[in-house]
Amino acid sequence: MLGKQWRKRSLIASTTIAVGALVASALPAQAADPGISPTTIKLGITLPLTGAASPGYNKIPAAMQAYFNYINDNGGVNGRKVQLVVKDDSYVPTLAVAKTNDLILKDKVFATVGQLGTANNEAIASSVNLGRRGIPSLFINTGFSGFANSAKYPTTYPILASYVMEAKIMAQYIKENFAGKKVFLIYQDDDFGTDALAGFKAGGLTFDATNSVGYASGSQSAATGASWVGKAKAYGADVTIMFGVSSATGPALGAAYQLGFKTQWILGSVGGDATTLKAIGVPTAVMYGAIGLSSLPSPADATDPYVAQFQTINTKYNAGATFDNNVLVAMNTAMLTVEALRAAGANPTRAGLMAAIASKGSTWANAGLAPLNYGASSHVGFNGYWFGTYGPTGTMLPAGGKYVVYTTDSGAGAVVKSTYVRPAMPAKGLPNN
Amino acid sequence: MHKVFALLRKRPVVFILAGIALYLLSNHVDELRNFQGATAAVYIVAIASIVLLTGYSGQISLGHGAIMAVGGYAAVLSQKYWHFNLLLTFVAAVLAAAVFGAILGFAAARLSGPYLAGTTLALAVGLPSLADQFHILGGEQGLPYNVPQPPASLGADFTQYHWFFWITGSAALLMVWATQNILGSRYGRQWRAMRSNPTTAALAGIHVGRSKVLAFTLSSGIAGLAGALFVLTLNLVTPSAFPLSLSFTIVTGAVLAGVGSLRGSIIGAVVLVAIPELSDSLATKLGGAERVSANLPGLITAVLLILTVLFFPEGPLRRRVKKIK
Amino acid sequence: MIRLISTLLIGLSSGAIYALMALALVLVWRSTRVVNFAQAGQAILSTYIGYEVIVHVNNYWLALPIAALAGAVIGALVDAILIRRLSQSTGPSAGIRPVIATLGLLGLISSIVGLIWGNDLKRIPTPVGTHGYTFGHTTIPFSPYNLLIVASAAIVMLLFAIVFQRTNLGLALRASAFAPETARLAGVRVDRTRTIGWAFAGAAGAIAGVMITPQNALSPNSMDLLLVLGFVAAVIGGLDSLIGAGLGGIVLGLGLALILEYVSTSLAFPAAFIVLILVLLVRPQGLLGKLRSRDA
Repeated sequence: MLGKQWRKRSLIASTTIAVGALVASALPAQAADPGISPTTIKLGITLPLTGAASPGYNKIPAAMQAYFNYINDNGGVNGRKVQLVVKDDSYVPTLAVAKTNDLILKDKVFATVGQLGTANNEAIASSVNLGRRGIPSLFINTGFSGFANSAKYPTTYPILASYVMEAKIMAQYIKENFAGKKVFLIYQDDDFGTDALAGFKAGGLTFDATNSVGYASGSQSAATGASWVGKAKAYGADVTIMFGVSSATGPALGAAYQLGFKTQWILGSVGGDATTLKAIGVPTAVMYGAIGLSSLPSPADATDPYVAQFQTINTKYNAGATFDNNVLVAMNTAMLTVEALRAAGANPTRAGLMAAIASKGSTWANAGLAPLNYGASSHVGFNGYWFGTYGPTGTMLPAGGKYVVYTTDSGAGAVVKSTYVRPAMPAKGLPNN
Repeated sequence: MHKVFALLRKRPVVFILAGIALYLLSNHVDELRNFQGATAAVYIVAIASIVLLTGYSGQISLGHGAIMAVGGYAAVLSQKYWHFNLLLTFVAAVLAAAVFGAILGFAAARLSGPYLAGTTLALAVGLPSLADQFHILGGEQGLPYNVPQPPASLGADFTQYHWFFWITGSAALLMVWATQNILGSRYGRQWRAMRSNPTTAALAGIHVGRSKVLAFTLSSGIAGLAGALFVLTLNLVTPSAFPLSLSFTIVTGAVLAGVGSLRGSIIGAVVLVAIPELSDSLATKLGGAERVSANLPGLITAVLLILTVLFFPEGPLRRRVKKIK
Repeated sequence: MIRLISTLLIGLSSGAIYALMALALVLVWRSTRVVNFAQAGQAILSTYIGYEVIVHVNNYWLALPIAALAGAVIGALVDAILIRRLSQSTGPSAGIRPVIATLGLLGLISSIVGLIWGNDLKRIPTPVGTHGYTFGHTTIPFSPYNLLIVASAAIVMLLFAIVFQRTNLGLALRASAFAPETARLAGVRVDRTRTIGWAFAGAAGAIAGVMITPQNALSPNSMDLLLVLGFVAAVIGGLDSLIGAGLGGIVLGLGLALILEYVSTSLAFPAAFIVLILVLLVRPQGLLGKLRSRDA
């Protein structure tokens, strides 16, 4: 009896001590903008490194760090080295919030960059409330159009063209190239899909239950893929749009092969990465001839100076990881981040960083073939895409070898062919803004 | 000394003292700890619901995350459409979840052990995604949950998370006190009797079916409050905030603390918050390749979990059960 | 009509996979009275081992039995090291402790797999064609590969059912699970027999993993959803019966396919719950489960 009581009390005591230790180990807040020291700039990112949503995305941090290391080896940013703190959120919003809190309150990062996921960024914005605290969230990895609302998200800067834009542009392309044909849409049944449906509608393509199918996010598998494609086949679709994630595109294409379904596939930017699709097991024969789109050059296009430079950096600093679209996008975002930090001056502040993006962000050199649209009240990143076709080896290249970029907005604006010429790459890919 | 403890157990005195202690604590820690404290408070309530359901009435639920979702959505919807104030949204959450639990309890009363586990598991996977179906529920983007800013009288330095901690902490204390009273009542005794030997319990006049449904209803109501508090810390309700892993985490916390012990729920909650934090710090210190830092926290958590389950069967507050060979 | 047949065929093929996973779970349940959530982890690890075989030797037909063997070894190890200690639990947490322990084990194995192989997608090529069979102008969504899956599941199930019902080993397995003390008195080496049960389950899970992976990529968490569906299938069929596991898998596969096709594609997750609750409302012990009272 005595032993039990002693044991219980000692356990309560040790728990109290443990809690006390946790409490005492918290650091006091600093006065100046956190994350900036005389020698380093600390940035943070949250994204899925493990879990069902992680494949493909988990290559991003290493690629970004590779570019940052390249910069650090060449003088850094105004003499400071860029550090990236990486946190895994397994694509769960509550973890994204907890990890972002860790980044801000424990790791004391200057800004976050590339945070991934629509629901995750929503949760971060509402709970961590970056806007109210003035913490910049740069170049978030989601295409949901809502984040461009600078009144609602004052410190958040999307970079990807929104899904609304993507859908509008697809609709225009279909109008130009497949007028009068039967079109079927497979989309993800959440905000990703709602944005797409709105965009298609604005572009003149209305989808309902007869010519479209929405799948529950997370339910994609060989069996469910077969049911979507079965519907497309029954509809007799000449053109089938796949507006979903890679893990859904894979089963859809596989099912098409199984069913012997011949159609013109148009793959959305999110699920269209050829390397990821090959890894899932989609035979390149099935992808051959599919149409895809992107805002950046094809990762296989070694004639593009940005791509070539990034490939070199990848070989030297990223242990030769396969250079695919994920790596390209990650390095491009890292490059823009470095340019933003440079523009913030010798003594960067968070407010200064955001002011720099607002005033000069749209002029910075990067691989994007569509323009960036940052401005005083605009948080819109890329707003355009070019179309390409997947070749026999799975790489997507533009028709006729020439990039033709379409641009639009997330509202009712028209889709136009862009005349944008991107800035020349600074020597050796080292920003000089 | 023992008698004093026993006397203090049901009295609100202990809870009032705890409340004061937490209040003082919250004023001296930084924002991160306040946020973690708020998270721990949510877990305490959620674990308490499992203690009642599994520890006392012996029914397994692997789907309490879904019940929390019901509570969370009820809180947000009642705020959005009926303009309830914060307290009323909590009440709405508890009631909605309790009703849901009653229905589930009726369906589940005939199911035992793994069959109940399987049903609640399917529920945990199936229910949250319904929000994507009905756009009134906000879809994947979710619906915002407006928590009023801390009153100006507390000063401009009073942070949002500090305020969250006060709200969740008080709610948790109240709920745990209420649960303690329920568990100490005759219903608690009925559940324990029913759990250890249903036949004898029935012979003693306990209506086993009704008792089970009551346990499910009350447990769900408590989980509903946990859901509302959870949504409060996020300022948002969205289906992906309630993944399957949430249900597993709650049950894990209950087992770590001794599933039959309400007091253990506090330890379980602290452990649930502390383990990811500690393993994260450890992983950062050990550093290394990306695949290491990505998988190390999960590894450490899993090892700790297995060790605790093996060596502390009834939780750290009970004596180790002697094995009968 | 074609639509219905297509839907049923899709359901049959996916149902076969659920059946294999359900079989593994029921094997463990029948020999240890434990719901083994780590089954997905064991299966994934065995599948990665099969992947390594393919990477080095490029022979699927060799990888399959090796993975099954690996699965058996892993299953036996898990039982010997972890589960035996938990079997003697008493007290209020007796039912739920093994559940949590196996959950912890699932996390452990997934992390270890991630540490060794990394978290990016790997693929296993399909051993036979994936183009659906064609009759005249119609192609049905059933390919040689789907036939392979269904046939393998059926063979494995029948094999285990025969072992359980017709052999002394099977009798020993059933006795060790249901009445261990009596079995010991009758001379059965209970602990060792249970380990054999776990080995069988591990092999079944490994086969499920190697069969399903060519159509979905391989990553440390790629079988988690299959675990949930396999468990639901096992419950539908009744946890006491190996044939029930097979039946449960088919019922779940068909049910899901029908709901997805005729009701809505976005109901994929609630559909599993709907099928399950419909079955349990009518038969709370599952389709082929035995309604007999036992202690909680």
